[in-house]
Amino acid sequence: MEKLRELVARVFGVDIKKINDEFSRSSVEWDSFNHLLLVSEIEKEMGITLTIQDTEKIKTFGDLRKLLSKVNKKNE
Amino acid sequence: MQLQLGVDNKVSKNIITFTKLNSISDYIRLYNQIEKQPELKVGFKKIKIAILASFTAKGMEQVLSVKCFQLGIDPKIHVSDYNQYSQEILDKNSQLYSFNPEVILLFIDSRTIFGDAYFLPYSLSVDVRKNVSSKKTSEIFALVEQIKNNTSAKIILHNLEVPIYSPLGIVENKQEHGIIEIVQDINSALRNSYKSNGQVFIFDYDAFCSKIGKQNIIDYKMYYLGDIKVHLQYIPDLCDEYLAYIKPLLSLSKKCIVLDLDNTLWGGVVGEDGFDGIKLGPTPDGRSFWEFQKYLLSLFQRGIILAINSKNNSDDALKVIREHPYMVLREKHFASMQINWNDKISNMKLIAKDINIGLDSLVFFDDDKLNREMVQDALPQVHVVKLPDDSSLYLKTLASLTDFNTFQLTDEDKRKGQMYAEQRKRDESLASATDINQYLRNLQMEVTIKKADSFTIPRISQLTQKTNQFNMTTRRYLEENILKFSKDNSFIVLSVTVVDKFGDNGIVGCAIIENKGVKWRVDTFLFSCRVIGRYIENLLLSYIINAAKKQNAKILVGEFIESKKNAPARNFYKENGFKLVEKKDQIEYWEYDISKFYSSPDFIKLIEG
Repeated sequence: MEKLRELVARVFGVDIKKINDEFSRSSVEWDSFNHLLLVSEIEKEMGITLTIQDTEKIKTFGDLRKLLSKVNKKNE
Repeated sequence: MQLQLGVDNKVSKNIITFTKLNSISDYIRLYNQIEKQPELKVGFKKIKIAILASFTAKGMEQVLSVKCFQLGIDPKIHVSDYNQYSQEILDKNSQLYSFNPEVILLFIDSRTIFGDAYFLPYSLSVDVRKNVSSKKTSEIFALVEQIKNNTSAKIILHNLEVPIYSPLGIVENKQEHGIIEIVQDINSALRNSYKSNGQVFIFDYDAFCSKIGKQNIIDYKMYYLGDIKVHLQYIPDLCDEYLAYIKPLLSLSKKCIVLDLDNTLWGGVVGEDGFDGIKLGPTPDGRSFWEFQKYLLSLFQRGIILAINSKNNSDDALKVIREHPYMVLREKHFASMQINWNDKISNMKLIAKDINIGLDSLVFFDDDKLNREMVQDALPQVHVVKLPDDSSLYLKTLASLTDFNTFQLTDEDKRKGQMYAEQRKRDESLASATDINQYLRNLQMEVTIKKADSFTIPRISQLTQKTNQFNMTTRRYLEENILKFSKDNSFIVLSVTVVDKFGDNGIVGCAIIENKGVKWRVDTFLFSCRVIGRYIENLLLSYIINAAKKQNAKILVGEFIESKKNAPARNFYKENGFKLVEKKDQIEYWEYDISKFYSSPDFIKLIEG
């Protein structure tokens, strides 16, 4: 979870303190290109693949966090 | 990663060297950091690059910039707006042309070119398909021509990725003008059209896709969501390919490979394992070294100079180089051989001095990490290759270097490695000669002077572009210019070729003379620095004087324009009986009275071509 926050902060170039469940795509840093960049880096870092549907569904950091814990559970 | 240029900028060197670049966002962050601190780019070379792509090229700008920073280059990059590439090309007043780039990366992908036909090629009749490749090829040509008409930028035109799927499966290649054949036809048309063009270069994007893997090059999710057609993860690999074009444009190409011997050119240590004990040849443990040498030889044949820097007993090492049955590289391939117990740093300096090239033209291969670090530390200009511990990866490491590129490859370029090796023998002969005249006589020089023709024009143009030292006027001419002079009856363009007992030097000098009736004007007179002082320049002068005399000219006017580098040419006219009559707009006019006798060297055989 902390690792994920770090990654998101790093990709968007924002202070990690700003990253909470409410951090959303309406923030300036989270534009459409950065969204794809984020997904691509999460996939690389965690060795997983997200579907196009999942990628579209992520609207907030909370969505992302929940999605990844679901994916991780499935993998276990 | 290391900053290869000898840029004396420690802070940026540290930032650029030690920032880990594992993903695109790392590149973007480093890019932002450096852009905020312009002082980090002090001393960097500048270049303007335009990226015209038929899809989202986001991220490319930042990655390419960082790749440039690593080489001490500060690029200015213009990326055409999404899907605006053709408008930008067609509109003469577009941002593209006002930006005035030196390099244009033109990247149109197969899906964009073909539209629906990419998926449904067989909804078209065979007759229609037959015309598809020529139609699409002319569309691409039209764009390229437009760019050519509006800029002198180098155009890096991507060819098309050949699809790996076909609706027809295993009978795809039984069709007339199947989709795969169409794409291949376009690619070969592009290749053939620009073979002899000095402005347009085909980047084999299809080969790049194969290298990465066509299954991996596209991330469909990213393509559907963001029209990204190159997987973000592979953008750094793609930018590496672009650097191959940028380096020669900024004279960052390397000219010489310096090699260690033990465990680099052969397996084992000759001083310990002996002549018969080293590993080299068609055996499981010798083949990697054998093939590494073969690849080095292929680079030598394209004009790369080779040299040795090895801590060894000279006799042991030379015995291997001369007698080992599977040694591919022999003495005749090396322009300098420093095989001794001196430190590698002084040897490296000696090699550069011997060959008369800058340390920044050298690439160093050594299996020993300590040696590499020492050299890199003391001589940051040298490109020290991080040779892997595993010798089976040597060839791959060498083959993936993009440091040896040039935009032009004349016969002289290809022979450069050989010519420098011959020069070593000449130098040895000079060192053992007791007097210079005897040495020159012993060289048995044969000089051919002839008028420029289609074979020699590219090299003559190249000489005017590259020669700095013995160059009277340093006027730079393109091939078109030389061609124009050679067709003009009032001009004479001469090339000079030299052969001596050590080998063929190729075209080493040229002159451009204007026949103005009573006065003849020497517009250009130059020689490559490696032949200066062999009186070939005097022979050419005497040739020109005689030609002018035959046409009843009275005065030969030599022009001299001083530059930062042409001191060796400074006194040539003075020492050869010319008188300074005028200096105007930086040009000195020296006159020679043609009725005076000019004695030409008798130890050179002149052949008039």
